[in-house]
Amino acid sequence: MNLNRKQYMASILFLIPAAAIFILFFYVPFLQSIYYSFTDWNGIGKPRFIGWANYAHIWKDPHMTDGLWNSLKMAAFGLVVQNPLALLAAVLLNRRFRTRAFIRTAFYLPVIISLVVASVVWGQMLQYDGLINEVMVRIGLESITEDWLGNVRTSFPAIILLTQWQAIGYCAIIYLAGLQAIPQEMYEAADIEGARGWSLFRYITLPMLMPAVTIVLFLTVVGSLKLFDLPYILTNGGPGTSSYTLFLAVYNAAFKDNNYGYATAGGIVLAIFIVIVSVVQLSATRRKEVEL
Amino acid sequence: MNGSRRASFGTEIALLFVSLLFLLPVLYLATMSFKEPRIFYKPLELPDRLYLDYYKEALGTEFFRSLLNSLLVTAGGLALTIFVASMAGYVLARRKERVFQLFFYLFMSGMIIPTVGSLIPLFKLATFLHLINTRTLLVLLYTAGFIPFASFLYSAFTKSIPRELEESANIDGCGSLRMFWVIIFPLLLPATGTFILTNVYGVWNDFLTPLIFLNSPEKMTLMPMIVQFMFNKQSINFGPVFAISVLAMLPLLLMFVLTQKHMLRGLVMGSVKG
Repeated sequence: MNLNRKQYMASILFLIPAAAIFILFFYVPFLQSIYYSFTDWNGIGKPRFIGWANYAHIWKDPHMTDGLWNSLKMAAFGLVVQNPLALLAAVLLNRRFRTRAFIRTAFYLPVIISLVVASVVWGQMLQYDGLINEVMVRIGLESITEDWLGNVRTSFPAIILLTQWQAIGYCAIIYLAGLQAIPQEMYEAADIEGARGWSLFRYITLPMLMPAVTIVLFLTVVGSLKLFDLPYILTNGGPGTSSYTLFLAVYNAAFKDNNYGYATAGGIVLAIFIVIVSVVQLSATRRKEVEL
Repeated sequence: MNGSRRASFGTEIALLFVSLLFLLPVLYLATMSFKEPRIFYKPLELPDRLYLDYYKEALGTEFFRSLLNSLLVTAGGLALTIFVASMAGYVLARRKERVFQLFFYLFMSGMIIPTVGSLIPLFKLATFLHLINTRTLLVLLYTAGFIPFASFLYSAFTKSIPRELEESANIDGCGSLRMFWVIIFPLLLPATGTFILTNVYGVWNDFLTPLIFLNSPEKMTLMPMIVQFMFNKQSINFGPVFAISVLAMLPLLLMFVLTQKHMLRGLVMGSVKG
């Protein structure tokens, strides 16, 4: 009895450091942000309660609305293009061949490179006199050269493509991990039953891979909503508001305009989107997992 | 996996081609950092000799100071997380009482709640605690951010350790704290390895947190330093920016090449446990 009580106290002692850091630097600011989002706080004066005014203004602010719209477009693109490609890459990289180690490294390399370094090099490549256009000219595609990041129509699509370069490898590695966890016997059994090619994929690989699919879809959508570094460094949201993301709009409202209350409201809207997406998506794919 | 099928030759060639496209920006970055100004803005011309002036200029800047800062906050953030999350994760796996379950859900909610809205209150809190513009703050913030994932990971790994070990240690009169660090923590090493190898890149490459919470050049980490360097010198030339980018990338690139196998294994383990 005495020992149990001692162990109980020890357990609480073990939990305290993590709990203290987490509550102080995660939960307290999170709860405060809800309060600030209803005020006109500018960082210096006293916050004044202004009800839903900040939230109402978000929908009239093109930085915020275009930012949100861009993030949603990027998430949709990620779901439709990036995930199937990553899955295809993972299936192929799971095969045996001589240069496999090299190719896997190449695919994963963009993931470990920072978005800052990626921005530096892609920024140069996408310039009007940069590598991309130069190659276009050499192969006779002069008519479609463009100042890719300086044009309203192309700036955000260029940023989307750039994120694909990073994200495909990341998603492919998670899928690869999922593929390697599938017991080989299942394929052998299906083989005896006469299943081939596509039906192997449809009835064994894909169902067994659902947990990985859940994680990848989640990362794709949340990653799109949280995008900040690339537009901040490459275009600062421009030209106009064409390459804004909601995160960048929130950052600028807070740290450029000192509009803290308003920025926090933007942050809360973004947070709500992320939570909705997470809950809807996790429950939808989890249900698929259970069906198996 | 040895049981997996062989790829056809055509598939291999196609994959090689695509992987070269993936490598292109990295190769381009490296090439650019050695191109003398005469050919710098001619994208298709390759350097005919190693031009090292950009590197000299890059190393003459705040590079080493920033490198040290990045090392400090990265090592500090990961170490503090490992210290607090291993203990917490262990307890969350072992205790069934309601208080502990409550904390489990509190931590796990951190995986879904985004920190975007919290940046400004956090800024105010840090100012209040006199932690603004300190590397300590970054370490604490990274730790707070990692606690949900890390304690979940440790809790999952703890479940594979037999309880009898602890019971016999307790009967032998070993105190809980000593028992944890001497017996349990070493057994949790795979979790620690997985955590480090999958998260070190995120901290090293982080741009937003230092951008917001650090303002003096003496404290600045590598990534915001590169961006400031670029925006300050934009009109002159990009050579040194490329050189710094290569140097900032190099340590983790090296680490990646050396630990790649373990990282992939860690991801597989993580996905199975999760």
